[in-house]
This record gives sequence, structure tokens and C-alpha cells, in this order.
Amino acid sequence: MTRLRRDPRTERAAARTSGAERPRYDLALKAAPSRRPRRDPRAEAAAQRVPAAARLRLDRSQFGAATVVATHVPERQTDKASPKPIIVENPDFLVLVVPDMAGGRLGEHDRQLFGAARELAGKTGATLALVGASSADLGPAGADRVAVVARDPDAYDPDARAAEVVAAMRALDPKHVLFPESADGGDLARRVSVLTGEPLFTEAEQVSASALGRPARCRKVEQRSVPTRLISVAADSVASYSGAPREARNEQVDLASGPAKTAGAIVSATRIPADPATVPLALADFVVSAGNGVTDLDMFRQVVAALGATPGASRVLCDAGLMPRAAQVGASGTVLGASCYFALGIAGAPQHLQGVADCEHIVAVNTDLHAAMIARAGLGIIQDAQLVMPAILEELERERRETGT
Amino acid sequence: MTAAFAALAFLMTGLATAQTLRRAALWRLGAAAPVDWVSGLAKLPKRYLVDVHHVVARDPYASRMHAIVAGGLLAATMLAGFAILPPLAGSRFYWSVVALAFAMTLAGSLLVGARRYPKTPKRLSKGGFQRLPFLLLAYAAGGTAAALSIALSGPENPVLLVALLVAAGGGLGLAYEVKDGPMRHAVAGALHLIAHPRQKRFEQGRPDAALLPLDLDAPKLGAELPADFTWNRLLGFDACVQCGRCETACPAFAAGQPLNPKRLIQDLVGALAPDGPTYQGSPYPNARPVAGEAGPLFKVIGPDAKIHPDTLWSCTTCRACVEECPMMIEHVDAIISLRRHQTLELSAPPQKSFETLANLREADEPGARPLTARGDFAAGIELPVISKRGEADVLLWLGDGAYDMRYGRTLRALIKLFHEAGVDFAVLGEEERDTGDLARRLGDEATYQGLAKANIETLQKYRFNRIVTSDPHALHALRNEYRAFGGDFEVVHHTAFLLELIDAGKLPTGKLDAGTVTYHDPCYLGRYNGETEAPRKVLDRIGLSRVEMARHGRRSMCCGGGGGAPIADIPGDARIPDLRMAQAAETGAEMVAVACPTCTAMLEGVTGRTAEIRDVAELVLMAVETGRADEPRRAAA
Amino acid sequence: MRIAVLLSAGRHPVSGKPTLPRTEAQAIRMAAGLGAATGLHVGPDAFPAEAALGHGLDYAAHIACAAGSDPVGPLAARIVSDAPDIVLAGRRGQGGDETGLVPYAVAARLGVPIVPDAVAMRPATDGLVEIDQALPKGVLRRLVVRTPVVVTVHPAAPPPLPFAFGKARRGSIERIAAAPTDLAAGAPPPEERPYRKRPKMMRAAGGSAADRLKAVTGEATAGGAKVLDHQTPEDAAKEVLAFLRRVGVLAPASAAGPGRRPAASEDASRHATS
Repeated sequence: MTRLRRDPRTERAAARTSGAERPRYDLALKAAPSRRPRRDPRAEAAAQRVPAAARLRLDRSQFGAATVVATHVPERQTDKASPKPIIVENPDFLVLVVPDMAGGRLGEHDRQLFGAARELAGKTGATLALVGASSADLGPAGADRVAVVARDPDAYDPDARAAEVVAAMRALDPKHVLFPESADGGDLARRVSVLTGEPLFTEAEQVSASALGRPARCRKVEQRSVPTRLISVAADSVASYSGAPREARNEQVDLASGPAKTAGAIVSATRIPADPATVPLALADFVVSAGNGVTDLDMFRQVVAALGATPGASRVLCDAGLMPRAAQVGASGTVLGASCYFALGIAGAPQHLQGVADCEHIVAVNTDLHAAMIARAGLGIIQDAQLVMPAILEELERERRETGT
Repeated sequence: MTAAFAALAFLMTGLATAQTLRRAALWRLGAAAPVDWVSGLAKLPKRYLVDVHHVVARDPYASRMHAIVAGGLLAATMLAGFAILPPLAGSRFYWSVVALAFAMTLAGSLLVGARRYPKTPKRLSKGGFQRLPFLLLAYAAGGTAAALSIALSGPENPVLLVALLVAAGGGLGLAYEVKDGPMRHAVAGALHLIAHPRQKRFEQGRPDAALLPLDLDAPKLGAELPADFTWNRLLGFDACVQCGRCETACPAFAAGQPLNPKRLIQDLVGALAPDGPTYQGSPYPNARPVAGEAGPLFKVIGPDAKIHPDTLWSCTTCRACVEECPMMIEHVDAIISLRRHQTLELSAPPQKSFETLANLREADEPGARPLTARGDFAAGIELPVISKRGEADVLLWLGDGAYDMRYGRTLRALIKLFHEAGVDFAVLGEEERDTGDLARRLGDEATYQGLAKANIETLQKYRFNRIVTSDPHALHALRNEYRAFGGDFEVVHHTAFLLELIDAGKLPTGKLDAGTVTYHDPCYLGRYNGETEAPRKVLDRIGLSRVEMARHGRRSMCCGGGGGAPIADIPGDARIPDLRMAQAAETGAEMVAVACPTCTAMLEGVTGRTAEIRDVAELVLMAVETGRADEPRRAAA
Repeated sequence: MRIAVLLSAGRHPVSGKPTLPRTEAQAIRMAAGLGAATGLHVGPDAFPAEAALGHGLDYAAHIACAAGSDPVGPLAARIVSDAPDIVLAGRRGQGGDETGLVPYAVAARLGVPIVPDAVAMRPATDGLVEIDQALPKGVLRRLVVRTPVVVTVHPAAPPPLPFAFGKARRGSIERIAAAPTDLAAGAPPPEERPYRKRPKMMRAAGGSAADRLKAVTGEATAGGAKVLDHQTPEDAAKEVLAFLRRVGVLAPASAAGPGRRPAASEDASRHATS
């Protein structure tokens, strides 16, 4: 495992912002390359690689090429090594993958599902993703083929979805069919199992080409079996696919199926969005949180309501009794699953950051440029939260006036 | 006319008896209870003069007032009754004695009045009690005047008739008040002392606080209706004189939680007899609204009934109210009875306790932590397990404080002291289950009995002389409450055991120079078991300068951690431990010594406290270590 | 409305004592709000039926059968004869293979629909029932379904009522001996070994302690961060709102209400100001 070398002094000097009386540093800026040459073994190995060999071969005499690299943190490795997708032209067998793709995007669990599928497919098999809408992520995630089934994303007809999968199984005869053991995926897997009469290996925690493993009887025993046809894969148990991107070739599949036996039983289905004011913090999608930098909690509540968010707080405010304990964000409070987190006047203790680790987007307003929360944020604003809150209310009010009337 | 005076006395007695019988018809709705009338009656004077007086005397004014007015009233009425005998009726000396007795009553009545007028103290109820001084005054003044007039100018005088009429007004008023008014406390109180449901509390010289086991095969579990209480408990509720001592002692009341023991007892009285006078004392703080429907056969607890469930679950079972009650009412027993019905029959314990109760039932441990992990706190210290040895002199009961990081420190200190003193001890290890105390206080008697029986069976497998525990709740369960299930163990609290070791010279302690310390009595040690001295002696032995909080010993205030109250977590205005730490701060002590895992956790959780919280065992270990450090220096000198 | 609650023989994860699985106890609470509920357990041990009484059922049937045999047949037979409107089950039965397939198999055997992950149910007009289904992030899906229907209960449903000894004592259990069934129809029993706990996959594991901390706190994912200093509060507010709109948690300014979910947030602001 390669650790990139850094020169903290230079980085710090480069990050210094001019014009402030006290030294202030903008650590979000990427440090400039240091003067000291560093070796990059990966780049060296890449340069030593003998082209056109079936197996990886390195020419050790090719020494020195591309040895000196910039020391700033490179972009993600996957972005660099994108060029040639791996193509499986004539697969021996297919592994059908039915990801959840909530909101049309691949979730972490879906990626792990592809990891499991690649494990089962090996070199000679191909993975085929059965999805509602194609996504550019499917190839890098490990899909060799993609079959798109046009469906209304808002409709709720699980039996029809199960029938689709069964039809795809009939048309493609995959060796394995993989579902995520999630709310939707688990439900679909069981419907398919009942519909086809084939046993389902649920909640697989170990997946390899030779064996599957799952807990049973209150986690007292572990059941093992050779890979069955229908498998549902537990979350966070199997590594996601990390190899070179796959081809993700579009495949046309004929999914004609008859109406389900229980068609028409579901008379209506309506989605009821979560009420941000009352939804439990762990389930909230957008959390606005107050820390020590917020003194006017009434105004904070107004901001939360105006943004249509769920209120949260740091431990300090909850300990002081200013916010209810249920609102505490962090390792000892609630670990959020929100997609966006807006931190007002929160410095960001490690325990607090653990609570927001899964949040995709973070906005932080804090007076301290070096606060950990600012470092973690996608948008960090160095300003007094007490001043920004009325400004937000003002801005929203102005927008409302302009558009409303 | 002298005969009329005597007749008044008889009329009063007759009216009072009639009123008592009317009231007794209500008590008879209660469940049956065996009462030994003869022995109770024989013991009444002692119980009244010793046990009741001991409590009443804590308020010297009330004590004097009551002695004078009650003594005078009884003496005067009884003496006046003797006027039916002709030789006495003609004796001027006799009448001057009667006049003296009435005069004493008069003085007492003035004291009674002075207590309520011009301003009635907050803890006293108003209503009928505000009338009482006037009735007493009328009876006493009229009686004095009448008797005096006879003594001075013979049976035929103009004052007598008027005076007798005034006395009759007051006296018959008092007798009438026996059913629903303030005078009920006198009759019900005396009967309650005779037929008290806990006869042992007057006899064994130490508190009788063990909850009575519930028969799990009974047709109904716990008390749902007023009529589900035994009749002598209903009688006990009627004995309440609404003096409000309980409410000043109650920690939940002080913290603004919706509990007031006085109001609770009056609500139980009102639930039995809904047509009685309305309660006019201080309410439940932040009282939850209730519809207030009541009747002997209507449920007591519920938003539609008399008492809101939040009131029931605010209680910390600290027994401060019982300790302070001059009428010997058993508030905690009543609360537990009501809780038992809520939990066992209605699945209605407080929402936040659902998980704890499930854990106790399913994992023998309130936090569902593995029993094998109980000894984990002692990593690195030798902790012998009894199953490997079969016997030991001392069995150390760890309790669930062992799972707590903070309390683990105390237990480690205790175990180090045991090793230091060469105590032959062992623990049960993974065979130790929770004592079930928490389940029992939350009303889940079924789970409690299961745990108790399992623990007793385990304990009876091994040979040991006594059990030492640092948890007063476990101590109380093992020592007092397991007896009903066949577990008879000698149980010693660690403070008493440490005192024994120090006094036997097995623990050479140095003198600690750690500033002043104040000791917080755990309810389950002080009030429940009467042990207040040993921990104080230990602190004195190790050279700490000790100051006392205003409330200490058996009258100490609870930390808020008992009876499942922290789990029920009924919101109030303040937190009980904050109040207690403020009391500790008043003493100026730099350290608060505790002797209970719950107290440690509750008091240590107070934010912004200035005093440190240390268990007595930790302090002793510090003293032993100081002593060891001083040793070479002394040897050199 | 008549409800049957399927019961399974769970075990406590720490103590190993027999317990009723939580979602099944939740199902009992949900059933109690709908109508007359009976419990149904197929297995060698009557414990789950007894526990279910304590959690609020008045009546439960225990169909005795050998350990390891397939419960679907006896269950379906019993349900057909009882003909309840709703069959409630936990999210996943415990004590057996724990595949969570039983409710699906029962539904298929009965030819009725199955609705997973219910958190609330209300009877609607003739033969219909309204079911709130839990979706991620606190979102609900309200379904109106024709009975009979099989419903599984989501852990986010109202917490179960605690076990009450008195209720358990009063309820009655009907004990039925099942006709011997085919042992675990079809597939041979899989190979079993004692369970070994494995560490969960860390989502972005790194080499050093610092990397791991970053992975835990999510710092590693903050790419392309933008830090703005020396801004007026007004500019800062504009930046924040623009960012929130870009990531899609705030409705664009042209939309009717202030928030993304107009009705809900107006409601909330009313609460906040009153």
C-alpha cells in the first residue's frame, strides 16, 4: 500500500492566505509540489509494464521513467486509469444483477452487489445488470452487460417487477441472479423465489465462486452452500468491484410476461414525503444543525423551517438543554443518513463528524477557518452563523416576494 | 345543667362513633387483611408515644401543639363525661379540674390557630383544616367558661347555658368532622396504628422496607381500583392529616415532577369516596390534566381517572415520604401496588422502560449486556470466581454498576482493598444475574420473582459466610426482599465491611488530606436499612474532615436514581441530582462521598458541579496508598 | 376485521433465551388496533405462542411439528380454514433458516398479495385496508389494498407493548398436532457450522490511522471543497442557498413555497412561530 509523501511545511506555507493580521491558512487549497523528488512506485510499475502481454509483466530494466511525480494528492486512482474497458465477448454464463438503484443512482450496496457478481462471474462469465434506467456508473461498478427495462419509477407494482425478473431469467438463463438484501431488493428476491419455486440463498455474507455463507438461527450457526441460482447479498459484507471498468454493453431482452396472479389487489399507492419537522433525525434527508456558534435558537428554528429541513444540534447544545437530546448529531447521538448536512457554528469534533460521515453534501458556516467542519464541508463559509441565519431568512423572503407576487 | 355537660361529652362520643362507622363502611370495600386486634390495641400507646412522637417531634412547634390540644381535648371530654356521676357533679374541685383541662385545650387551640393565621404555611392544606381552630376554640372556650362558671358559682348561673351552647357547637362540629373532615385523622390514625399493614416497623428497631411479595396466582395482579387495596391500607390513607411533611421531603416534588405524596394519598382517599370535600393543598407540580372520574370500583390510574400515570412513575421509591409521615402511611407500598397492575396487567409501564424490562426478562440484565462481561472492569486484577473454588468467606456481589466505566473504578478500588486486607473472597462471575430490583420497582413482579429465585438457587449452591456488596439496591434485595423467597443471607454493605477491616487493623490507612467531604446517604442504605453510621465512621477513620448537608442520615434526599425513575424520565422543572448537588455545594465541601453506584452515576452526571464525587471505597484506597507512601518516611524519621 | 399473526421462535442475541422477535411483537400491537387477532405458531415449542399472549394476544394456536420441517403447509392450511382478512408477520421469522420466505410462500400458497414493511394500518371501506409502508429516509408509501392480504411489519412500526405477565396468564393457547409434513421440501439442508462473526466491510479503508479516521468521519470524500472567506453575511446566504439548490435539497426560487416540500415546511414554520 503506497502512502504518498507530503511536505507539511511547504503545504502550510502555500496555504497561507494573505492580508490577515494573524496568520490564517486555507487548508482546502491543494498544496503546491514540494522541491524534494518523491518516488511513485505505482507510476514506476506502470512505466515498466510490458505492453501486449497476456499476463502482467514488468520490465525491471526500464528504471527511472516517471519516477518524479508531483507530491500533491492525486485525483482518485480510478479516474486516472479509465481508458480501456474490459470486454467479455462470449461469456460462458451470465450473472444477472438486479440492483436497487434508488433515485436512479448506484448506491454503495449496489456496488457491493456487483462486486459479488464479478466474484461469481470470474473471467469467463459476464455480469448483466437489469436496471430501470442506464447509468454511466454501471461499467466501472462491474457490469459487462446492461439490460434496460422501461418502467415508471414511481409506480408500485412489485409483482410486475418480479415477473420482469422471471422473464429475464427465462430469456437469458443466467447461472446466478443477485439481489441486494435491502428493503426493496430483499422483497423482490423473495417474490422471484416464490414465483419460480427456486430456493433463495438470502442475506449472503460470504460470496465466492465456490461457496456462499449466511447466518441462521439467530446468528448461532452459519449455513454454507455452493452458489445457488437465486442469491441475495447482505450489505457491507462483500467488497465492491475495484478492477478496471467493464464494458456495460447494452443488451436487448424480451421481457414479455403474463399478468400476475394477484393483479389489481393494490388499489392505490401514494408516496407521502417525510415531514422534515417530525421525521426522526436518523431518517431525515436534509439536516440543519446548530452548534456553539448559534446563540439565537428561535432564529435557528425559523431557518430550519424556512429551509424545510430537520433540526439537529451538537452535543454542547443538547447538554446545556437548549436542544432536545433526540436532536444530537454524532457518535453518541444520532448517526445521520442525510444526503445534505448544513452545520451552523459547529467546529466539528471527531465524534460529531462520525455522525455525518455518510452525508454526501456538507455546508458549514463557522468563524474559524481551521475548524474540522470546514475542512469536511463541500461549501465552507467563514462567517458568524449568527449573522448568516438572518441573511438566509432575508434572502428567502426576498425571493418569495419576487417570485410570489 | 351539669347533666347537660356530661350529655354533651356522650353525644360527641356517640356522634364520632357513628361517623366512624359510616366511614368504616367504605374501608370494608377493601380486600381482606388479617389483623390482630388484641395485640394491636395493647401496643397502641407505645406506638403512639414512641414511634409517632419520634416523627412528630422533628417539628417541635407541631409536637407541642399536638400534645397540648390533643391531650387537652381527650382529657377535658373524658372528665366532662364523668359529670354523670352525682358526687362529682356536685364537687367544685372536680369542675375546676375540668376547667383546667378545657383551658389547656384552649391554649392548644390558640396554638393551632396561630399556625394557620394570619398566614398558612405552604405545606399545610386548607379547606376543612382552616375551620378546625375555630371549632376547637369554640369547644374549648365554651367548655372552659362553663366549667369555670360551675366551679365558681354553682350549677345554676346565667353564663352556663350560653357557654354550654358554644361548647356544644364546637364539640359536635368536631365529632361530625370525624367522617370527612380534619378530625378523621384522629380516629383513623389510632385505628391505623392498631391495624397497620406493616406491624414489624414498630418492633424490629430498624426500618421494615421490604416490598411484600405478590402472589402471581392471584385473580388480579396489583391494585387497579381503590377496592383492590386491603382495608387497612384504605384506613391508612384516611389517617392522613395533610401536614405536608411528605411533600417537603419528596425529591420529585422538589424537582417539579408531577408527584406530591400528600396529594397522591388524598387522591386515593378521593378515589374511594368521590363525594368527600375537595382537596385544598398544594397540587402536583406541572400536574397533567385528568378527567378525575372516581369511585371505589373505578380505576385509579389513567388520564380519565383520578391519578395520571406520570404521577405514578415520577416516584423514586426513596421512602422520604414514609420516613416523614407522622401517621405511618406507607406511600411507597401504595405506589408499587398501583405500578404492579399497570405493568403486569395492562402492559403500561413508562414507554422508556419497555426495553429495560424486556432486557431484564430476556437477558437477566437491564442493559442486555452479556453476563460474562460483568467482570471485564477488573482486567488486570485478580478476581476469583466462586464456581472454581466452591466456597469463600465473602461473596462479593458486583451488581450492574460493574458494567459502568465510572463505577468500575470504585469496584477495582474495593477489590484492591480486599486483596490488601487478605480477604478470602470470590464473585459469582457469569452466574450473577441482576437482582431484579429495578423490575420490581417498575412493577414487573413476575420478572423480579424469576430473577430472585434463580439468584437464590445459584447462591445456595455455594458455601460462603456472607455477601458483601457496594450496591445498596442489591443489598436491600439480597438481605431483605429475598427472604420471602427462601433466601436468607447475611449481607453487608462495603462501607460497613471496610469499617470492620479498618477497625480490625487489616487495612493500615494513612490520613488523607483531601479537604472537607460531605457524605450523601443512599436511600436504600440509610432509609431502607438504617445504616448511616458505618460510612461516616470510615470517613472519620481516614482523617477526612466531614461536614453534613442539611438533609442527611435517614432524612437524606434522594439522588433521583431509584425506583426506575431515571428510566421513566418524567419531565419536570429541574433534575433531582442537580438539586442534591446544590445542597452539597451549600456545605462548601470539596468532595461528596457516595456509597452506591446509582448515586455515583446520578451525581457525577450533574453539569457544572464543583465538588468531586468519590465512593467511600476509593477514598479508603487513597488513604491506604497514602499510608504506604508515608511508611518509609516515618521509618526514616 | 380478523387478523392472524404469524409467530416464530426467536432467541435473544445476547442471552440466547427464547424471545418473541421484536417485529412480531410489533405486529401484535398493530393487529390489536385493527380487530380480533389470533397468533399462529408452527414449531416444536409452544413458547412463542405463550409470549405472544403476554404481548397482547388473547388467543394463539400452536401447531406442533418436528424441528426443521417446513411450516408453510400447516400455516397455509390453518389460515385457509380460519380465513382471516389480514395475515401479519414479522419482517423475518427467527429460529429456523431465517430466509424471510415464509410470508411470501404463504401468500403464494393462498394466492393473495403480500405487502412488505408496514408501519401502520387502518381499515378502509369494504374489504379494503390502508397500509403505510416504510421507505428509506422517513418516506412512506400509502397503499390501499384489497383484503385478504399478507403484510410484514417494519422495525420502524410503533414499539411493541411490553410483555405483561397477567395477560400471558389469561390468554388461551390451542394446541394442535400437525400432520407430519415433508421435511424442508426439496433442497437438502445446507452445511452448517458455528457462526463466526466477521468484521464489517469498511467503506473506504485506508492504511494509516489517520486514513481510517478520515474514512470514519467522511473527510476523505470531501473533494472539490470550496471555502469562502471575507464574505458579507448576505453573500454567504446566497452562496448557501445556491449550493443547497444545486444538491437538490432546496426547491428552486421560482417554486411556490419556501421549501422543497411546500406544505410540510409551511406547517413547520407555523409551529416555529406560534
